[in-house]
Amino acid sequence: MLAALVLLGGVLFAVLHRAPADDGGITVVKGVIGSEKREFFADPEVVAELKAQHLRVDAITTGSWQMADADLSGNDFAFPASLSPAEEIRAAHKVSGEPVRPFYSPLVVIAHAPVAEVLRSNGLAARAESGVWTFKMDQYLDVVRRDRNWSDLKDVAGHAELAGAVYVTTTDPATSSSGALHLAEVSYLANERRVVSDDAGVGRVRDLVRKVTAMQGDQKTSSDGPFKDFLSNVGSPLVLVYESQVAALTAQGKPTGDLVVLYPDTTVSSDHTMVGLTDNGKKLADLLRDDAKLRALAVRYGFRPQGDPGAFGAALNAKAGPVFASDLSAAGIQQAPVPAVKVLNQLVAAAKGK
Amino acid sequence: MSKRTVAGRVLLAGLAVLVAGCTSAGPGPVQKSGDPVAPTAQAGVLRVLAGSELQDMAPVLEEARKATGVSVQFAWTGSLDGADAVSSGRADGKYDAVWFPSDHYLRLDDGGKAKLATESPVMVSPVAVGVRTSVLGELGWGDGSKVTWAQVADAASAGKLSYGMSDPTRSNSGFSALVAVASAFSGANSALTDADVQKATPSLKQFFAGQKLTSGSSGWLAQAYGRAEPGRIGALVNYESVLLSMNRTLPADAQLTVVRPTDGVVSADYPLALLASAGQRERESFQRLTAYLLKEDVQRKISETTLRRPVTPGVAPAAGLPADRRRELPFPGSKAVADGLLASYQNELRRPSRTVYVLDTSGSMSGGRLASLKSAMARLTGSDDSRGTTRFRDREEVTLISFASKVKSTKTHSVPAQDSKAELASIDRDVQALGADGGTAVYSSLEEAYRVIDRQQSTAKDDRFTSIVLMTDGESNEGASADDFKSFYQGLPSSGRAVPVFPILFGDAAKGQLQGIADVTGGKLFDGTGSLEGAFEEIRGYQ
Repeated sequence: MLAALVLLGGVLFAVLHRAPADDGGITVVKGVIGSEKREFFADPEVVAELKAQHLRVDAITTGSWQMADADLSGNDFAFPASLSPAEEIRAAHKVSGEPVRPFYSPLVVIAHAPVAEVLRSNGLAARAESGVWTFKMDQYLDVVRRDRNWSDLKDVAGHAELAGAVYVTTTDPATSSSGALHLAEVSYLANERRVVSDDAGVGRVRDLVRKVTAMQGDQKTSSDGPFKDFLSNVGSPLVLVYESQVAALTAQGKPTGDLVVLYPDTTVSSDHTMVGLTDNGKKLADLLRDDAKLRALAVRYGFRPQGDPGAFGAALNAKAGPVFASDLSAAGIQQAPVPAVKVLNQLVAAAKGK
Repeated sequence: MSKRTVAGRVLLAGLAVLVAGCTSAGPGPVQKSGDPVAPTAQAGVLRVLAGSELQDMAPVLEEARKATGVSVQFAWTGSLDGADAVSSGRADGKYDAVWFPSDHYLRLDDGGKAKLATESPVMVSPVAVGVRTSVLGELGWGDGSKVTWAQVADAASAGKLSYGMSDPTRSNSGFSALVAVASAFSGANSALTDADVQKATPSLKQFFAGQKLTSGSSGWLAQAYGRAEPGRIGALVNYESVLLSMNRTLPADAQLTVVRPTDGVVSADYPLALLASAGQRERESFQRLTAYLLKEDVQRKISETTLRRPVTPGVAPAAGLPADRRRELPFPGSKAVADGLLASYQNELRRPSRTVYVLDTSGSMSGGRLASLKSAMARLTGSDDSRGTTRFRDREEVTLISFASKVKSTKTHSVPAQDSKAELASIDRDVQALGADGGTAVYSSLEEAYRVIDRQQSTAKDDRFTSIVLMTDGESNEGASADDFKSFYQGLPSSGRAVPVFPILFGDAAKGQLQGIADVTGGKLFDGTGSLEGAFEEIRGYQ
């Protein structure tokens, strides 16, 4: 299994806790996880709670879109960052029963506060009374289609960094889940709010997905890169990241400066979906979904527990930092469905000009 | 990409330095080409192919070793050569990780991208222009906070600003600067295209009119800036961190003000990247080291030690790092555009070169040594070189001086601006006709090279990048002495003294003599004992 994974890009081994031989009663559960969940599984409190439930997780990290192609024999579970690869894994391994989505995280756009204000005065963003910001996707795509530059917008004077074309920086959709999910969102909107499901649909959205990708030039391979650049004050003005990346910092009391979280009014969530390949894997999935302690710990890493809709807002709203939407649908944020893997691959190819 | 026939040649150009023993960020030891670094993997050692800029991380990595048990064993190479080594698979099994200022160029190659398992940015520094403070005043640029690339180009083309910049085909800082100016001059609002490069060409030529120093490494560039006569070099293009670090030792009248042009910069984010070929044990070492380097207190130490910007949230940059924001210019999204830009730089945009090769054809060179020389020189006349790394460039003036007991022949070629093939073939014919016999008069032959250059300069009345490459396999035993040469050099006009000699150590050459020649002329010694081809190719970055 390892040899097969080594051949894949984006593979990283995270030996989270090397165990002595099993002492009685603890079951080792082996699996593959997306790297964004590495810190959660390494958290000593997570380890302790799992131990209290007689489990120990031994996981390696790999790209979500690559798990579907990997030989997963010897593993008890696969835990990609979105539903589509989970469905592929389920089909490939003939897994029965529903996939479990213990927690999820929507894609958001981050900007420094003055830039968010520029977006607002140009009708590209809005701020609700609750303080939650939304990013107007239709208006944004219109700006992209019409080749508008920051200098074409009003109120940009005094912002030297706002120059050139207006675009959201994403990761490389060919290697990174967030970049691919962005294409899902853009293609859904460009296809008159219908999920792209066939060649004709790909044809309709081809130019736009190519454009939003090509204008960025070289893209980084993981969402860690653009996020760190942003935090270092040297990155692009608008960057697509997972809400969990920002929320983890806030939940842990780390400063984020004047960073503002803008929720695309039509976004896509990263559905961290657990595929149990064995009974032990299924048991772990159920625990992650249902165990109150583990849910609370997931919030510490910025994730939204599916089984406890209030937990995320309750934990984050008390903290200093950017305003998060406690309830996405109440904030008017819609979810774009993600195309099937085959179509998504076609969209990625179109985006890369291939 | 050029096909490299000798496996590992460029990859191995560098020196293995155990971090524990590496405390200086100075010019570094002799550039050794073809040195088989990278021994087999061993526990607790991460073998890292890296940019030489990272020498300044030595104190941080020594503490990392104590804290994590992982020591880093570096082999140095330029960013673009390193990318080639990874893409071609030459790094597999020899290194566990790569650490360059940026992975931009590597990512443009799908094959190269697939060689990386994971990467994590460790620190950030934008490429900027360090302007000598007195020059800043003369140009009326105030405190430098409002300067654009267009202003830099105007000053350069008006002869008011001369600067040094590393070779973009070798070094990430030079490449990043080239992308930044091409973006700024073309008015490109998003990632560069071929059409943008065309559009920017006239302004780029103006900008590069001011480039008076070129270099294959930022360390040598800093040294050359230091030794240039006052007023000759007004600015350096380099990472903000390197420029600020230089100010720690530069005298008051040579201090640099860091200008980050307001129309945008390209930043390096120093991703530490694990190779997919690395073993399980090395993966764990990589994890431990990366986690350590991102810790808040370590990030603070990195910023204070190296003057780069931290990437971990909540860690304030070191004092003196400006906080105002700049637009980050996108990097080209395709290898074709990037290589096209580099080829235009070499063949069209940059000031042309005048290069003089002083080649030892004494008796001891006969046989294998002469054959090595011929094959190394033949690479410089080849055409299989998409980004113009190696071959003689369009518009380059190349003089071949062969010597033994005295100068045997002097032959000058001018590579035309277009259709260079015939002239390159003619250079190759001259090289292949060389024969070996006689003694070794190194210093007299060098003096003749300077005289040839003086004649060429006064005839052409131009101002080219001029350098001398000296290849010898022995000790000078005839003609002028080292002292004679030194007096001769001191007596040259300033245009002559500005010409460095890059000696290549080969065969039984006297290292002390050659180092002396490099020191006197402001050149740099290269070691061709492992690979003569590698040494010739390295030197191209300085020509």
